[in-house]
Amino acid sequence: MQPVGIRLQGVSKRFEHRVKGEVYAVREVSLDVRPGELLTLLGPSGCGKTTTLRMVAGFQQPDAGRILIGGQDVTDLMANQRNIGFVFQNYALFPHLSVHENVAYGLRVQKQPEADIARAVGEVLALVGLEGYGGQMPNQLSGGEQQRVALARAIVIRPRVLLFDEPLSNLDARLRVQMRGEIQRLQKALGITAVYVTHDQEEAMAISDRIAVMNQGVIVQDGTAETLYRSPGSEFVAQFIGRTNLLAARVVGVSPSRVDLEVQGRPLWTPHAPPDLKAGQAVRLVVRPETIELRPVFTGDGLQGTVTSRVFLGEKVEYQVQVGLDVIQVTDYNPNDTGAPQPGETVTLGVPPDAVRVLREGPE
Amino acid sequence: MTAARRIARDPALLLTALGLWVLLGLFVLFPLTRLLQRAFVEDGRFTLGNVLATLGDSNHRRAFVNSLLLAALVGLCGTALGLLFAYTAARGGLGRRWLAALDAVALLPLISPPFTTAITMIFSFGPRGLISYHLLGLKGFTAYGLHTTLFAETLTYFPLAYLTLRPVLAGIDPSVEDMAFSLGGSRWRVFRTVTLPLAVPGFANAFLLLFAASLADFATPLILAGNSFPVLPTQAYLQITGLLDFKGGAVLSFVLLVPAAAVYLLQRYWVGRRSYVTVTGKAGPASQIRSVAPWARAALIAGCALVALVIAYLYSLLVYASAVVAFGANHAWTWRHYHVIFTEGLKAIEDTLIIAGAGMPLGGLYGVLVGYLVARTAVPGRQAMEMVSMINYALPGTIVGIAYLIAFNDPPIELTGTALIIIACYVFRYSPTGIRATVALLQQIDPSIEEASRSLGARSGTTFRRVTLPLIMPAFFAGLGVVFIRSMTAISATIFLVSINWTLITVRILENMTELSLGPAAAFSVLVVAIVFAMILAVSAALRRFRAPGTVAVTSVLGG
Repeated sequence: MQPVGIRLQGVSKRFEHRVKGEVYAVREVSLDVRPGELLTLLGPSGCGKTTTLRMVAGFQQPDAGRILIGGQDVTDLMANQRNIGFVFQNYALFPHLSVHENVAYGLRVQKQPEADIARAVGEVLALVGLEGYGGQMPNQLSGGEQQRVALARAIVIRPRVLLFDEPLSNLDARLRVQMRGEIQRLQKALGITAVYVTHDQEEAMAISDRIAVMNQGVIVQDGTAETLYRSPGSEFVAQFIGRTNLLAARVVGVSPSRVDLEVQGRPLWTPHAPPDLKAGQAVRLVVRPETIELRPVFTGDGLQGTVTSRVFLGEKVEYQVQVGLDVIQVTDYNPNDTGAPQPGETVTLGVPPDAVRVLREGPE
Repeated sequence: MTAARRIARDPALLLTALGLWVLLGLFVLFPLTRLLQRAFVEDGRFTLGNVLATLGDSNHRRAFVNSLLLAALVGLCGTALGLLFAYTAARGGLGRRWLAALDAVALLPLISPPFTTAITMIFSFGPRGLISYHLLGLKGFTAYGLHTTLFAETLTYFPLAYLTLRPVLAGIDPSVEDMAFSLGGSRWRVFRTVTLPLAVPGFANAFLLLFAASLADFATPLILAGNSFPVLPTQAYLQITGLLDFKGGAVLSFVLLVPAAAVYLLQRYWVGRRSYVTVTGKAGPASQIRSVAPWARAALIAGCALVALVIAYLYSLLVYASAVVAFGANHAWTWRHYHVIFTEGLKAIEDTLIIAGAGMPLGGLYGVLVGYLVARTAVPGRQAMEMVSMINYALPGTIVGIAYLIAFNDPPIELTGTALIIIACYVFRYSPTGIRATVALLQQIDPSIEEASRSLGARSGTTFRRVTLPLIMPAFFAGLGVVFIRSMTAISATIFLVSINWTLITVRILENMTELSLGPAAAFSVLVVAIVFAMILAVSAALRRFRAPGTVAVTSVLGG
């Protein structure tokens, strides 16, 4: 079966809030999921990501907009007519049915011959590593095993798309890492287009071909994990994905290949600049803590500050450095055994031009 | 997406809802409307004349006052007795087995035919009563009136108070009491100033439940109240069966309906929602300090034991009376009464079993369907459906019976004399237990389980049949069990609906009582208790068998 794309066109969902009145859970979201791609909707709780996913599944109806799967408008189709596989946060296994019957359920609904059902269930249980579990009841399984059954149940009907609603959030940390690898492997092996919802940025970065970051009902940016991390388009994305420093700055000069800036009275420059910057404009700079170089003495360039805290975490050391009114976080991987700056000492922060991103929103 | 469009795509749901509304309209709203019409409409015009005339009749006025007085006294005494049991269960430090015994004693009166206590009161205190005549040698002690009615109703209905108060008292965190102790309060002071005030909503709830139960009780006063103490349900009954005065019966029903409805609404929407208990989070460890002094604990247990003894005595008496020639006169053993009920009385037994057997699956299914629509779907008017489905349950049986009699006596819908009218009466009167059990169970089942079924391609009908229904099977069996049990034991509504073609054991018991053939009455009662017990065992077994692994248990077969 050829993988199909999913297209959302101006999809909105409103609901009645007890205090605020009518509010948008999802506001005019447009999105293209390419055939065979695993796209993650990432955002804090209440950002509308689960509502968006449930509208794709057909569990909720959009108040406006259209949803297309494989070019077919499914907006008015019920969930049972969309041919989707859905994996729930709480697994939602049928507690009264055995593992085998849980997985067979969708095939029985399709009234497939008994022999085909038995073969398909056996195959898919093997695929998720649960051979011989068919006779067990769901409450006899561990969380990870239940999640595999849920996965097997969703893929056995050969759905056109697979939808995941925070499927790993009930598992412990180690299992989470293992299962996300398996989900990715299965999705690629089956070549099914998938939409994955999570609030865990590390999980999103590990599993996704592409991430759409949502906040307050809208998609604020989408791209690969690397693009989002290296070139966040807004303060929200910069802060939601990874740790970051946001520095108030002023544009000093603009040329085609570089922007000159001033931070705390010190010069800084970068080759990466959004268009239409003007000299004198107030901007914010995104600088990741691990890109900043910490030098124990004042070397004339860069920013100067005082170390206020130093936390040793094994593979890295985290510093907080007071620079003027700002506190800048610096992460030092592969720390040296000796000569590390201590709290109270004056240091120089070297900011590589390539690591600086300029956000046009001025400081509030 | 409008609700109408959504429903149009799911016609099975819409048809089910429409079907249920037709049934509710026919068997709940229509009879009630006809009853009010009979009471208030004269020559096509609205009038208060009938009600005023009834209230002007001193006999009826006395019945009204008596009803309220009896209900209030039963409410007080029953709540006190319920508190005794509940406090002993919650704080008495009894072992598991003793608690089970306490429960058994409290449940026995709830599942018995309504006049079991009344009959044994006659055996004990009647003209040739075991206690009044044989033991105390009293002559001229009257077994009829407020005192015996009150005693019998208190014993019959105090389990309602026990079942209401026990979770309330158990829910009061013992650490709150510990705290009061640590501040220097004496045990009595802590009980008075902490425990009791925390349980106040529970008391109000228990009192109102008992008040309503007593107000609606028909069988006990019919046997025990006598001519000197008329109450509304019996008065309405006599008005209809004695004088064939349907209008008078309708008006008396309305007079009874007003306090009954007021109490029901008060209980359900005001007191029922007030509880201090749910405020606390995690319960602390069991109290290290005994909140009950040793002597008080002994007194509590003695009190419970006394009540248990009285109940045990009454039931032994019933069995004994069914197996002797003539209780009070000739105490020779005999099977005669059982022979009588299985020959002359066989038709009543067969009819009752057929009616209960037919009502059982219908009531179970109806409860599950309404519960599902109310708890899980977006069908318009589902709140209204829930309220309407509770009406016949909340109203005193006498009112429901008279309403059915008035509504279904003439065309267009003539059902008088059929089994259907009795079955419909039971189904719509006693299924609300099943509805509530279904709603409670569904609230514990995550909706995503049904969504999973839909995402796998199942339509709503398939999802209901293959996923939801198996999961709410326990509620189905609980609902079905209650309909069966009540069909075996109820009389207040159906006494107006029996006919030559279809009669009931409970009605035969009443006839036997009035003919003073007490032996067969006792034998019938024993038979009913035995059948009900067998049914409870069967339902409990079914609940264990059908309880899906990992889901919550439905324990209370008799939750109302």
